[in-house]
Amino acid sequence: MTARADILARLTGTSTQAAIEAEAAALLRAPERPPVDPALLEETFLARLTLPSVAATVDRIATMADLPAAITRYCADHGLPATLCLPPDPRLTACDWSGFAIHDTAAPDEALALAIARVGVAETGSLVFETGPAAPMLPNFLALHHIVLVPRLVAYLEDATLPGDYPRAHYWVTGVSGTTDIEGTYVRGAHGPRFLHVIRLGD
Amino acid sequence: MSFDTRVAEALADRNLKLAVERTAGTAEAKRTLAVDAFPDFDAARDRAAAIKDHVVANLGHYLERFEANATAAGAQVHWARTAQEACDIVVGLCKAAGAKSVARSKSMLGEEIGLPHALAEAGIGRIETDLAEHIIQLSGERPSHIIWPAMHKTREQVSALFKASHRVAHEEETIAAMAESARRHLREGMLAADVGISGANFLVADTGAVCTVTNEGNAELSLVPPRMHIVTAGIEKIVPSTDHAVHLLRLLSRSATGAPLSQYTTFYTGPKRAGDRDGPEEMHIVLVDNGRTAMREDGLAEMLRCIRCGACMNHCVVFRQIGGHAYGGTYPGPMGAVLTPAFDGLKQSRDLPNACTLNGKCQEVCPVRIPLPTLLRGWREKSWREGLEPASLRSGLGTWAWFARRPRLYRAATAAALRAMRLMGRSGWLSRLPLADGWTRYRDMPRPTEESFMAQYKKGRRS
Repeated sequence: MTARADILARLTGTSTQAAIEAEAAALLRAPERPPVDPALLEETFLARLTLPSVAATVDRIATMADLPAAITRYCADHGLPATLCLPPDPRLTACDWSGFAIHDTAAPDEALALAIARVGVAETGSLVFETGPAAPMLPNFLALHHIVLVPRLVAYLEDATLPGDYPRAHYWVTGVSGTTDIEGTYVRGAHGPRFLHVIRLGD
Repeated sequence: MSFDTRVAEALADRNLKLAVERTAGTAEAKRTLAVDAFPDFDAARDRAAAIKDHVVANLGHYLERFEANATAAGAQVHWARTAQEACDIVVGLCKAAGAKSVARSKSMLGEEIGLPHALAEAGIGRIETDLAEHIIQLSGERPSHIIWPAMHKTREQVSALFKASHRVAHEEETIAAMAESARRHLREGMLAADVGISGANFLVADTGAVCTVTNEGNAELSLVPPRMHIVTAGIEKIVPSTDHAVHLLRLLSRSATGAPLSQYTTFYTGPKRAGDRDGPEEMHIVLVDNGRTAMREDGLAEMLRCIRCGACMNHCVVFRQIGGHAYGGTYPGPMGAVLTPAFDGLKQSRDLPNACTLNGKCQEVCPVRIPLPTLLRGWREKSWREGLEPASLRSGLGTWAWFARRPRLYRAATAAALRAMRLMGRSGWLSRLPLADGWTRYRDMPRPTEESFMAQYKKGRRS
């Protein structure tokens, strides 16, 4: 007998698929979670970004046209050259990047990468991404400074999950790369970004 | 080495006590704060336990569903009955891919099945990318905690290890500088690896996704650049949907580190798609039984709820004294004391369920309400039934039972023993006691009162 058949033979159940599905759905009804006031999404999200484990800085722009100036401000504040890893996302490439050195593949020691999150989650301050031809994953983990544009907020993590088929990777970034592996002491920038900068789009 | 010897060594190690206390103490305090900030935490734990029980009850259904969806997404699913079968599959895949080096993202299941050893035997280079796993790979040790595998190491020891092995090691003796040294060293290895190997925090049945959770981001950096991603996961890691995973994630991070959510939560669904700019060409998922179906059949189904948060050990008075290595298995602490007899056999590990005060703290903090003390008692009973307890204990208990069934004689014997103990302990303490040298070797026994509690109670002295 194959390993598969052997294992499954020991796990036969009596419930019908419909009964299992009904039970699984019932287990999701009215889940307990830290309450988020729908009227205060913005405030809650911004408060989460200040948690020690998240520790993001925040800026705000009204339209996409203001994005390059916001990046210039960030670079100036952190003494960084105007060199940027920019994914081939048409919403980003449509901006005027004159004055910047732009590339779309992250170097092993990439200093600065920009990305657009699909949504931000007020409950946790998480930024939600999906991979695709215009959205590589590696730059968001290789760069020392991770700048993320957040066009829209949702209340809970469940609001950020996808209905239907999943892309190759669906991921939530909640802060900077951190470790407490040496004597429990917190260090930022363990493997990935040491700095997270969130830019909220819209008024 | 026997459990007793390992415990004696651990207790004599001053550094260990300090190191365990620093990390577990901090984790305990942070968990308390996180739980206090989540008003319905107790109800959330009930639901989490119900979700896991539902999955374990319908495990066959969900595994087939997961397999179908993961396959549809382009991943290849493999099944392994034993640790050996799982290692053979992984080593076979690495060899077929011509892999010279693999980057491994911390996985307790990988430790459980002995994957590091199997890769070494096959001559495949391995870099552990979790900072703590990197430390213990350098020191040639096993993890001492499931969340903080190097919690037994002091910063001075870590510094010496890094200086001996990193090409450009830190100069400043700070923890931040040491972490930076590891970042430089490990990044090279991750970007050059041929295969990335991870475990899974969750396997999502209705999408076929594999979920990993890290704070360092080492999973993503280990799994995205190489051309092959191999997942080894216990069959109990299944959840019905992403939203069920969300519920468990809320409890996992709070119970482990006190954070509302870990920094990086990633759902990987199959290999690189058309047009994707990064990701592996192949994704393989090895579903590992290794005793889990047997646990489900043999009264240990509740243990399959475990989401590996480590809260039980952080709150365990025994773990806090002896650390993780003394347990001698892959998993330490209360959950380890339940799992190790199932994996390694009760005969070899009957000391573990006995090394427990049954204070119930582990069950109190468990996010999925595993009745750990009950399961530990179950092992004790089984050990007794199978005659695994030493002859001295069996005859001693027999003698005690003989007296206990004869109350008059029992009271007379107790009174006589009290008189003898008072004579021996005139100074107020007894430094030696026949049949109890295991106790008096390390501490003195206080001189008992003149009469037993029962005798005093009968006389009406109730204060």
